[in-house]
Amino acid sequence: SVDLSGNLIDNVCRAVMRSSMPFKLLKAAVHFTVGRMCHSLGEDHRRTFSRQVIAAIAETTFRQCDIFAKDLEAFARHAKRSTVSSEDVKLAARRSTALSIFIQNKIEELKNQEQRDLKKKNTGKRKSRDTEEDSRE
Amino acid sequence: MAESDTEVEFKKETVSKVLSSFFREDKTKLSGDATLLMAEMLKVFVQEAAVRSLKQAESEDCDQVDIEHFEKILPQLLLDF
Repeated sequence: SVDLSGNLIDNVCRAVMRSSMPFKLLKAAVHFTVGRMCHSLGEDHRRTFSRQVIAAIAETTFRQCDIFAKDLEAFARHAKRSTVSSEDVKLAARRSTALSIFIQNKIEELKNQEQRDLKKKNTGKRKSRDTEEDSRE
Repeated sequence: MAESDTEVEFKKETVSKVLSSFFREDKTKLSGDATLLMAEMLKVFVQEAAVRSLKQAESEDCDQVDIEHFEKILPQLLLDF
C-alpha cells in the first residue's frame, strides 16, 4: 500500500508538472520565437507586426500544436507504435501538396545525413581497431 | 544581412515538450527525427501566417500588420494545415 500511495503521489506530481507549471513557460517560448520570426520577416518587407498579431499567431500556433500532437499520436497508435516517427509527420503534412513535398525532402535530407554520420563512425571504428591491432603486434 | 543572420527556428526541446504535453497517453514518445520535422513544420506554419498577413496589409496599404489582416487570412491558413 505504501508503494501504491507513492505511485499516486508520483502520478499527481507528473500531472502537475506536465500541465499547469511549464505550460505557461512553453506558451511563452512559442510566443517568443513567433515574435522573432515575425520581426525578421517584417524587416524584409519594411513593415512591423503589432503586438496583438504576434500574440494571435502565437496562440494559433499553440492550438495547431494540439491538433498536430493528437493526429501524430493517433497515426502512431494506428501503426501499433508508441513512438511518433517521421512517417507519422509525413501523414500530418498530407493536406497541402507543397508542404508534403517539403517534409518529404527534409526526410531525405535527414536520411542522407544519418548515412554520412554512420559512414564516418564506421571508418572511425575501423581506424581505431587497426591502431589497436598495431599496438598489439 | 537581416535575412540570413542565423534564421530563427523553434528549439528542438520546446517542440518536443509542447507536443508531448498534448499527447493523450503518457507512453507516447517523439522520435528525434519527428521532432526535427515538426520544428520545420511549425516554422512553415508561422512563416505562412506572417507572410500572408503581410501581403494582406500590403494590399490594404497599411504600414503595420494588424489583427484584422491576420483575421482575413486565418480561415485559409487553417484549411491548408
